[in-house]
Amino acid sequence: MVSHSSSVTARNYRLLAIPAAILVLVTAIIPLVVLSTTVVRSSDIISIWQNSAVQKALVFSVWQALVSTIFTILIGLIATWYLTRYQFRGRQALIALITVSFVLPTVAVGASFIAVLPTWLHHSTFAIVVAHVFFNISIVVRTVGPRWNSIDEDLVNCAHTLGATSLQTWRYVILPLGKSAIYSSAALTFFMCFTSYGIITILGGPGLATLDIEIYRRAVQLGDLSGATVLAVAQMLFITIAFLIWSRSRSVELMTFRVAAVSQRRLAIVPKLFVGALSIFFLAPLLALSIASFRSGQNWSLSGWKVLLGIQNQRGLELDIWQALQTSGKYALIASCIALPTGIAATYALTKNGSTNSRWSSLAILPLSISPVVVGLAILVTYDFAPFEFRSSWFLIPVVHAAIAMPFVIRAALPVVQGIPPELRSAAATLGASPWKRFCLVEMPLLRPAITTGVAFSVAISLGEFGANSFLTRRESQTLPIIIADLFGKAGAIPRASGMAASLLLVIVTAIIVLSVDRKPRV
Amino acid sequence: MSLVIDNISFSYGDRNILRCFTLQVPTGSTTAVVGPSGSGKSTLLRIIAGLLTPTTGTIILNSQDISHVPTHLRSVGMVFQDNQLFPHLNVYDNVAFGLRMAKVDKRVIAERCQGLLDLVGLTEAAKQSVSTLSGGEAQRVKLASELAKRSTGHTIYLLDEPTTGLHFEDVRRLLTVLSRLVDQGNTVLVIEHSLDVIKTADWIIDLGPEGGSGGGLIVAEGAPEVVAKTKGSYTGHYLKPMLGI
Repeated sequence: MVSHSSSVTARNYRLLAIPAAILVLVTAIIPLVVLSTTVVRSSDIISIWQNSAVQKALVFSVWQALVSTIFTILIGLIATWYLTRYQFRGRQALIALITVSFVLPTVAVGASFIAVLPTWLHHSTFAIVVAHVFFNISIVVRTVGPRWNSIDEDLVNCAHTLGATSLQTWRYVILPLGKSAIYSSAALTFFMCFTSYGIITILGGPGLATLDIEIYRRAVQLGDLSGATVLAVAQMLFITIAFLIWSRSRSVELMTFRVAAVSQRRLAIVPKLFVGALSIFFLAPLLALSIASFRSGQNWSLSGWKVLLGIQNQRGLELDIWQALQTSGKYALIASCIALPTGIAATYALTKNGSTNSRWSSLAILPLSISPVVVGLAILVTYDFAPFEFRSSWFLIPVVHAAIAMPFVIRAALPVVQGIPPELRSAAATLGASPWKRFCLVEMPLLRPAITTGVAFSVAISLGEFGANSFLTRRESQTLPIIIADLFGKAGAIPRASGMAASLLLVIVTAIIVLSVDRKPRV
Repeated sequence: MSLVIDNISFSYGDRNILRCFTLQVPTGSTTAVVGPSGSGKSTLLRIIAGLLTPTTGTIILNSQDISHVPTHLRSVGMVFQDNQLFPHLNVYDNVAFGLRMAKVDKRVIAERCQGLLDLVGLTEAAKQSVSTLSGGEAQRVKLASELAKRSTGHTIYLLDEPTTGLHFEDVRRLLTVLSRLVDQGNTVLVIEHSLDVIKTADWIIDLGPEGGSGGGLIVAEGAPEVVAKTKGSYTGHYLKPMLGI
């Protein structure tokens, strides 16, 4: 009797995954299958790799991702250690800055580094690597942080009383205890850098292109849809296979949104200097962005803002920022309305009465590393045939945003759902609560902080999404990131200042949304 | 070999934990540190190990001021209250940890660890994960790892409530190991709440009352019989009938 009822419950829980599965099917799997089977010329499968631009893009994608990952992990691990084990003034602010950096629109990150770096470094590998470190350190802090946070202070003391120096304690205790989280964050950082698009669009210039840039260039500028598709499918396969091999060999640790309590230990001088430098590293690009939005060439000017807000006219710069804000807001709202229920339902399907299905939950990390550029291209090609001719329909964009945001909702909700003791549900059931009432009265209040986080991150991701947008946006319904990229593509001081102003606007909106929920302690 | 704690004070903010604390620990013996929660017992042990820095005072070991010597260079072994074993290492690797840190030759490590695992009765469990051990077994592994590092006969072992949650058979084994340590010339300083263990100590230091404006002082000190007769010592009050005084 018991086994029968529990198997029925398990099946019911699995059914909750259906909306998420449909979302992934419609936005990723079907388009990718259609893409790879319809537009590819068989001759391109081999010949495209002989093209020197493609070879160059491939080599650059790999090596910039490797270098970016190494630096992100090195700096990220030191930052994580101080943030999780020490108490110091400005700690919460630094965590907030690092959190915001990860959800900032990639084009805005690119613009910030254009603002802070000297002109001779603007279109360089150095600029790209530094921007990637800025963008991805959050992955390390949020993945390794909770693991290191759980190391008992006395375990570290114990290593010292056994004669281990500080370095030996790091080498033999702290690093091994964070090993799987470190591998997870390194892999995710690599995938994120490998598929980087917004940052490279702004900081790469004409000379530095990754595979994603090459896909866009072939599909949109050269009209070589077949070649672009071969590259897109190859990239997708590479990432999926690499991910599956990696997740089989080790346990995948999910990013969480908690960087919890710390001991009362104070920082010494050298760590203080490191933390100070890190704070400057995160603040300087944003400050420079603010300043640059009020500059036109060598002078202080409000022209950038005036043109952006439509107060001043500039030939060749007909911007409708209010329309873009409205469009971005509408998409963000719809995307979070789809991502939230689908993500929460999928989380329950993954946890099945409290015990997590680790194989499936590790897959929740995969969509983060799939290139939105590839998804955008695939959707453009797929939904071009009757009766599925949706490519010019506005609702396709928020649906794609929802699919990209859903993993974030799952990651916010998973630790909370896992943490609800099964006894609590049993107690409510024995007191006469139906499953629906149990969910509304017991689980919903506990889930509320995760829901708020999920909504905030969905909105932020939708606002800043650039890769898929660049394929799917129509002229009359441009989003803010598309306008920013357009402005940086134009010559002249005023478009640049307007681009900076638009980036700053996006940064402020995103920061307000994320910080308004992230400063509260998570359950 | 001697340990002198001279005029030590320690506080968390306004809260005094230890006040002008002076103490001479008899070496080559077992000293029990007793007292109510918050009376500064764990703080005292952590200061001796170098894990906390006192606001005033010095710690002198063998006529040398070790107040500023880092933890890993002090001749002090410590078994923590919640029995800290490295979860990513197996039983053998936990015991060998300190020797590896000191870059001792592999053959010597193997020999010494084997002997210690025999001593604590865990030879069969060498390759076992520490997560599978019972509380008593984990406690013995911890002790073996401390012994491996410093079985010199000139070490101070600090044990923070080592018998908490242990079966009486495990307590008996632990006491046997501790008495062997003392026989070798080492000094054992143990925080305990069990009167059965306290009464076997050579020396008792009774701290109290709870930290704060009136706390952080020694209430009674001496052999169990002496503490039992000291007026105002709670430990003495309960110890008296056990010693038949």
